[in-house]
Amino acid sequence: MKGDHHVILRVVAKVLIPIIALYGFYVHFHGEYSPGGGFQAGVILAVTVVLYSLIFGIAPAMRAITPGFARFIAGLGFIIYVGVGVWALAMGGNFLDYDALFREPPGGHNGQHVGIIVIEIGVLFAVAGSMVSIFYAFAGRVSEIRDEDW
Amino acid sequence: MSGEMAIAAALILPLLICAGIWLAGRVPDLREGVTLLGAAALFVVAIIIAGHVSAGSPAELSLGEAVPGLEFAFKAEPLGALFALVASGLWIVNSFYSIGYMRGNRERNQTRFYMCFAIALFGAMGVAMSANLFTLFVFYEILTLSTYPLVAHKGDANAQRGARIYLMTLLGTSIGFLLVAIIWTGALAGSLDFVPGGLLQQAEGLTPLVASALLLLFAFGVGKAALMPFHFWLPNAMVAPTPVSALLHAVAVVKAGVFTILKVAIYIFGEEILNATASREFILAVACFTIIVASLIAITKDNLKARLAYSTVAQLAYVTCGAMLADPAGFMGGSLQIAAHAVGKITLFMCAGAIYVATGLTNISDMKGLGKRMPLVFIAFFLASLSIIGIPPLAGDWPKYELMQGAADADLDYVPIVLIVSSLLNIAYLLPIPILALMPPPGTPEPAPYKRPGGAPVLTVAAPCFTALLCVLMFFTVGPISEFLEPATGERIPAAYMTEGNP
Amino acid sequence: MIESISSLVPADIAAHAPALLVVAPMLLAPIAAFMPNGRLAWILSILATGVSLVMAMVLLTQVRSVDGGGVLSYAMGGWAPDAGIEFRIDSLNSMVLLLVSTIGFLAAVFSWPSVVAEVRDAKRAMFYAAYLVCFTGLCGVASTGDAFNLFVFLEISSIATYVLVALGATRDRRALPAAANYLLMGTIGASFFVVGVGFLYAATGTLNMAELAIRLQDMQGNKAVLAGYAFIFVGLGIKAAMFPLHQWLPNAYAYSPSFVTMFLAATATKVAIYALVRFLFTVFGLEFAFEGSTLIWILMPMGIAAMIACSFQAVFQTDVRRTLAYSSVAQVGYMLLGISIGTTLGVSAGMFHLVNHALIKGTLFMALAGMVLSYQGTTLNDLKGLGRSAPWTMTAFAIGAVSLIGVPLTAGFQSKFALVNALFEHGWWWAVAVVMFSSLLAVVYMGRILEAVFFRAPSNPNKRRKEAPLLILIPLWILAIANIWVGVQGGFVAGLAEDAAGSLFIGDVS
Repeated sequence: MKGDHHVILRVVAKVLIPIIALYGFYVHFHGEYSPGGGFQAGVILAVTVVLYSLIFGIAPAMRAITPGFARFIAGLGFIIYVGVGVWALAMGGNFLDYDALFREPPGGHNGQHVGIIVIEIGVLFAVAGSMVSIFYAFAGRVSEIRDEDW
Repeated sequence: MSGEMAIAAALILPLLICAGIWLAGRVPDLREGVTLLGAAALFVVAIIIAGHVSAGSPAELSLGEAVPGLEFAFKAEPLGALFALVASGLWIVNSFYSIGYMRGNRERNQTRFYMCFAIALFGAMGVAMSANLFTLFVFYEILTLSTYPLVAHKGDANAQRGARIYLMTLLGTSIGFLLVAIIWTGALAGSLDFVPGGLLQQAEGLTPLVASALLLLFAFGVGKAALMPFHFWLPNAMVAPTPVSALLHAVAVVKAGVFTILKVAIYIFGEEILNATASREFILAVACFTIIVASLIAITKDNLKARLAYSTVAQLAYVTCGAMLADPAGFMGGSLQIAAHAVGKITLFMCAGAIYVATGLTNISDMKGLGKRMPLVFIAFFLASLSIIGIPPLAGDWPKYELMQGAADADLDYVPIVLIVSSLLNIAYLLPIPILALMPPPGTPEPAPYKRPGGAPVLTVAAPCFTALLCVLMFFTVGPISEFLEPATGERIPAAYMTEGNP
Repeated sequence: MIESISSLVPADIAAHAPALLVVAPMLLAPIAAFMPNGRLAWILSILATGVSLVMAMVLLTQVRSVDGGGVLSYAMGGWAPDAGIEFRIDSLNSMVLLLVSTIGFLAAVFSWPSVVAEVRDAKRAMFYAAYLVCFTGLCGVASTGDAFNLFVFLEISSIATYVLVALGATRDRRALPAAANYLLMGTIGASFFVVGVGFLYAATGTLNMAELAIRLQDMQGNKAVLAGYAFIFVGLGIKAAMFPLHQWLPNAYAYSPSFVTMFLAATATKVAIYALVRFLFTVFGLEFAFEGSTLIWILMPMGIAAMIACSFQAVFQTDVRRTLAYSSVAQVGYMLLGISIGTTLGVSAGMFHLVNHALIKGTLFMALAGMVLSYQGTTLNDLKGLGRSAPWTMTAFAIGAVSLIGVPLTAGFQSKFALVNALFEHGWWWAVAVVMFSSLLAVVYMGRILEAVFFRAPSNPNKRRKEAPLLILIPLWILAIANIWVGVQGGFVAGLAEDAAGSLFIGDVS
C-alpha cells in the first residue's frame, strides 16, 4: 500500500457507495408520499457508479456495470413505463389509467398504488441507465488525436 | 362522334401517339407510321370538332376540378377550332417533312424528338379547347416544357444556351405575369371561364386602373406572343432543328401565344371593357413598334432562319394588334392572321430546312443562283413570301385587309400606315431571297455543290410545295372561314362604302 | 380509401387512437434498440409507423365524421383535462398527423438500403430506435393539447434528431459540427419556448391549451402574457427555421444521413409550424396575436425575407442538398406569409402549402438518397448526366422539382395558386410580386439542377446505368405520384387544409 495517496478516498468510497445506493432506494420508494421518486432516485443511483469510476478508474467501473447493461437498463425502464400504459389500455382504460389496471370497482385503489410504483421503477431504470450511459460516453471516449501528436 | 367524345379524342390522341412512338422506337418506319397515322386521325377529329362548332352545337367536356374553383374544362369555339385545325393539319405536312429532314440530316435521339412533338401537340390541342383560363394556363405550360427538349435537341453548348433562354423567358413571363393576371381575374370576377362578351363584365370593383394593369399583365405575360421586349426567345430558339422551328415556332407555340391574347381580348375583357381600358392603346402602340422594329432587324440578318424568326416576331404582332383594335374587324383580322401566317411561315421554314439539308447553307448571301438547282423549293418560297407580304391572290392578303378595316373602324390612323410600311419592309427582306436565287445577276459564281448526294430528300421538297399551294387555296376559301369565325369575333360594322346610299 | 381502412379498425382500438398513434412508436423504440441486428429494427420501425399511419387515418375519419370538423379529446391516465394531460385532435391536428405518419411510414420503408450504405452495422438498431423516438416526438407535438407536454415532445423529437444528424459523420465528418450547431440552436429554441410557457402558467395557472385560450381572453395587455408570447414566438420560430433563425438548417440537412434529411425536411419544420399556428390562433387567439400585437409586422416580413434571401442563397449552392435546404427555408417563408395574412383563406393556403411542400421535399430528398446510394456525391457536378443512368429515379426527382417550381398539374402549383389568391383577396398586391419573383428564383435553382441531370454529359464517363433499389423506387414514386395527384385532383388535400384553417377560426369573426 506504500505510495498509494488515495487510500483514504478508496476506503471512504467503499463505505459510502452502498449507503448512497440505499439512500437512492429510500428516495425512490418514499416518492409516493413525499418529494422524491424515480427520477431523483435514478440520478442518485447513477452517482454511485460515477463515484466508483472516479475513485477506482473507468475500466473497473465498466467491468462492474457494462455499458451494454447500462443501455439495457435504460431501455428496459422505458419499456416498463410504456408497458404500464399499454397494460391500462389493454384492460380497457385510457393510456396510463392506473384505475383500469385491475378493473377494480370504484373506491379500490390498488391500481393506483401498483401503477405509480411500477411506473416509478421504470423511470428509475431509465434515468439511472441513461445517466451512466452518458457518463461512460464522455469518460470512456478515446481521444482521436494521441497526446504525442499535439 | 359526339362533341364531347371528339374533344376527349383530341386530347387523348396525341398522348396515345406519344406512347406508340415510344413503343415503336426501335423500328423507325413503324414509328413514323404511328406519327403520320396519328396526325391524320387528329386532323379528322379537329374537323369533326369544327363541324360541331359550325353547326352551332359547341362541344363541352369537363374533367373535374383540381381544387374547388379550378376546373379542367374544355369547350370548342370557333377560334379554338380554327387553331386546332391549323395545328393538327400542318402537323401532318410537317411530319412528312420531319421524316425527310431528320433522316436526311442523320439526327440523333429521333424517338425523343417525335415523342416531344406529340406532347407539344397535346399542349396545343389543350390550349385550343380550353374553356377557362386555368386549363389554358396548364396546357400553355405543358407546351413550353415539352418543346424545351426539342429546342435543345442538338445538345451542344449553343443549343443549350438557346433552350435555356427559351425556357426562362417563357416560364418567367408566364409565372411572373400571366399567372398573376389569371389569379387576379379570378379574384375579381369569381370565375375563370371564357364568357362571350367578356368575363370581366361580371367583376365588381373593376376600376379602369385595375383593368389597365390586368391587360398589361396579360399582354406581356403571354411570352409566346413575342411582343417586344419579350421577343428575344424566338430568335434564340432557332437553334432547334428546322421542323421544330417550322411547326412549333411558326404554328403551335407562337400561335398558342397570340391565340391566348385573342381569347383574353374577346372572352375575358370583351369589346366593351377593352375599349374602355387605357392600356389597350399602349399595347397597340407596342405591337406596332414591334412590327416595324422586328422587320427592320430582319433586314439586317443574313442567317435565313434568324431573318424568318424576326419576321415571325413582326407577324405575330399583327395578331396582338388586331386583338387590341377591339372591334370585330380587328378580331377577325387577328384570327385570320393566325391561320394565314401559319401556312405561309411554315412554308418558308420548310424551304430553309430543305436548303440546309441539301447544301448545308444557312446564309442568304450564299444562296444566289441556288434556284437553278432547287427550283421547286424557291418557287414555294416565293409564293409564301408573297402571302406574308399580303399580295392577292394569296392568303396573307385577307388579315391585312381586315386589320386595316378594323383600324379604320376604330379611327386609328397610324395603324394602317404601320401595316403598309410593314408590307414594304416584308418585300425588302423576303423577296430578294427567291428572286436572287432564281434569277441571279450575271457574274454570280456557281453555288456550292450539294453537301448531301442527291440533294434535298423528296419529302422535304414536297411538303413546302403543298403548303405553298394551301396559301393560294386559302385566299379563295376565306369566305367560309370568316363565316365560321364570326360568332366569336362579332358582326363587323358594314363599311361606309358598302352601305353607300342607305346609311 | 382512408375511410375504408379506418373502418377495418375495431371500435375498441379506434377509441384509443389518439394515444395509440404516439404509443406504438414509443413502445417499439426501446424494443428496436434491443434488436440484435438492424434489419429487425427496421421491420419494427415499419410496423410502428404503420400503426401510427392507420391511427392517423382513424383520427381523420373521426374528426371529419362531425360536420364542420369535430374535436376529439383524450384524457391521459383518465385524468380529466385541465388537471391531466389532454390529447386534443381537431381538423388541424389530424391533417398534420396524417402528413407526419404518412411521410414517416414511407421514410421507414425506403430507409433500409440507404441506412445500410451510410450507417455502421453496430449502430443500425440504435439508429432506428432514435428514428422512432423522433417520430414519437413529432406525433406527440401534433396531438397534445397541453402546452408543457408539447414542450416535452418537442424536446424528445429534437434530441433524437441531434443524434440522427450526428450519425451522418460516417459519411461526412462535417455532420458533427452541424449536429452541435443544431443542438445549440435547438436547445435555445426549446428553452425560449419553455420560458414562455412558464410565463403563461404564472399568469393563468393552467397549461391546458384550450383552457389557456379561455383565460387569456381577459388578459389583454398583461405584461407576463406578452413576455410569454414573445418567448414562445421566438422559440418556435427557431424550431420552424423562420428567417433569420434558420442558420442551423442548411448544414443539418446537408450532412445528416440521406434518410434523415428526407424525413426531417418533410416533417420537422412542418410540425414546428403547426405548433406556431396552434399558439398564435388557438391559444393567443386571432385578436391578440394579430391586432393586439405587432405580429403581422414580424411574421410577414420574415416570410418575405426568407422567400427572397434564401432563394438567392439556394441559387449559389453547388451542393444540391444545400440548395434544397435553402429552398426549404424559402418555402417556410411561403407558409408564414400565408399564415400572416390572418384570414381563413390565407391560413388554409399556408396549411395547403405545408402539406404540399412535405410531399415535394420528400420526393426530392428521397430521389437524392437513391442517387447517393448509387453514385455518391451530391454536388451539381456529380449529378451530371444521371438522367440517362438512372431514369426512373431522376424522373421522380424531376416531378418533385417542377412541383417545387410550381408548374401546373403539380402540388406546388395548387398551393401557390391558393396563396396568391389569398393575397389578392386581402389586397396585398405587392406580396404577389414577391411570391412570383421567388418562384422565378426557384426556376433558376431547380432548372440548373435539372439541366445538369438531363442535358449534360456525365462528368465521369464510366458511370454505368444504375437505378436506386426497388425499396427506394416504390415509396419515391408514391410520393411523386402524390405530387401529381394533388396537382390534378387536389380537392382532398385542399379540403383538409380548409377544414384545418376553419377549425382555427371557430368563434372568431373572420
